[in-house]
Amino acid sequence: MITDRQRSLHPNDAEISNWSGSISFRPSYVEAPRSEEAMCAIVRQAARRGLKVRPMGRRHSSSLIIATDDVAVSMENMCGLINHDTEERWALVGAGTDLDDMGRALNEVGLAVHNLGDINVQTAVGAISTCTHGSGRRLTNLATMLIGGRMVTADGEVQEIGRDILHAARGSMGTLGLFTALKLRLLPRYRLRRREWCTTMDECFGQVEELSRGSRNLDMYWYPRSDRAKLRMLDPPGEGPERIRGAKLVMAREGWSNEVLSRKRTLRFDEMEYAMPIEAGPECFLEVRKRVMEHHRRTVGWRVLYRYVASDDAYLSTAHGRDTVTISLHQNNTLPYDAYFNDMEEIFLRYGGRPHWGKKHSLSAEELEPLYPKWAEFRRIRRKLDPEGVFLTDYMSRLLEGR
Amino acid sequence: MIAGSMTWAIPGGREPERSTGPEPESTSYDMVCLLNIGDEDANVSMWAYYEHREPVGPYLLTVGARRVRHVRINDLIDPEAVPLETEYGLVIRSDVPVVVQFWRQDTERGKAVATAAAIPLD
Repeated sequence: MITDRQRSLHPNDAEISNWSGSISFRPSYVEAPRSEEAMCAIVRQAARRGLKVRPMGRRHSSSLIIATDDVAVSMENMCGLINHDTEERWALVGAGTDLDDMGRALNEVGLAVHNLGDINVQTAVGAISTCTHGSGRRLTNLATMLIGGRMVTADGEVQEIGRDILHAARGSMGTLGLFTALKLRLLPRYRLRRREWCTTMDECFGQVEELSRGSRNLDMYWYPRSDRAKLRMLDPPGEGPERIRGAKLVMAREGWSNEVLSRKRTLRFDEMEYAMPIEAGPECFLEVRKRVMEHHRRTVGWRVLYRYVASDDAYLSTAHGRDTVTISLHQNNTLPYDAYFNDMEEIFLRYGGRPHWGKKHSLSAEELEPLYPKWAEFRRIRRKLDPEGVFLTDYMSRLLEGR
Repeated sequence: MIAGSMTWAIPGGREPERSTGPEPESTSYDMVCLLNIGDEDANVSMWAYYEHREPVGPYLLTVGARRVRHVRINDLIDPEAVPLETEYGLVIRSDVPVVVQFWRQDTERGKAVATAAAIPLD
């Protein structure tokens, strides 16, 4: 019998696509290890052969961070709730656990994550590695949940994710090592009332700032082909405003947080998202809206999403050191997005925007470094952990090293 | 009483790109109006036909029993947004008889509204 330790890398000749289908790649090897031991063997063999290793979650990212020509490592067999302490409010989960499954498992033991994005199909490690977030002025991104765990480093050894590298590990895009288990800081499980209100931009935009202060989770969808808007609010039952001036309540539902924070989305799309300082959010959004209405309505029917994220101190967090507004552009995955996204990116950058790591953008290290005060510190830790660049594909190298 | 047909066509779609005046009241748009006077919900699928590409669809929607539903073509994104300033036609199929009317509001040069009955195909 061949053990995990003895087996060689598994050749692959199939093309792999991301969720939206806009990125395709053909790794020479695809692995789905079932143990840390197997993962260590994969990394050692890859390093010996000079191959690059990329972790692969649910492939929901639409940037090239997921692509590799060499070794793709799926986390699908490293999942489930490993350990928890309801009283101390933490859990250890397999890195490949998807957020939906994780939410259910945590709920059963009386725990919950502090927030979720609009969808919850991503793996926990994918969300944490790309600073995926939901909306809420007082709520940080999902990467900030990470308080420890284990990873396989570039030399094929298992290492604790210690406090000394925690700020780098949050949002590290798989470049410090392959995370196998994630220790997460959590909340006691809680219920929320989800409400959605239809309104128009003229009626709602002047109220959004104030509403965002009075609601736990508030975001706004703007519909470019009608100038209508939808406000989505999630609050503890009995809290939050009962009425919104000029808006009609079209949906109300109460449930555990993991049941109501996200919604199921089957329609596939490509996306660009930038994170701006919160003060710049309204002005930036109005410029985006004007540009879309003047130049892009012919081909763009999808909404634009406006969200809030609280500041944190992860080195590569898009909300590092500043309360943040994010603006997301969407386009059907069957329609061209380049002209739209490229044109709008110029606006985001003028407002000090930082691109979402898992979505479309055109920046590389040279443009990114000035946006992140702790860029050099992250680079120092990354180089120390992976001096040979086992986890740096060409794209990741351009992104983080500029070469 | 059974009223309407189960398959309809609208050949003359073309949504204006420009609008004049405050939106959303003055947004230019095409709209399909569906009337279901029967006692069963109507499950409707629409396909958009174009000059230079294959049809896109289905756009799925439900019209409740004894209800009317107005659907702005501008708002459709699933499976794909219909491009503005582009000639298109619609074929609409329902699992129970419905009545279909087409409506256009064009505000590019002042407000103009046009309506036409869709063409029943069965």
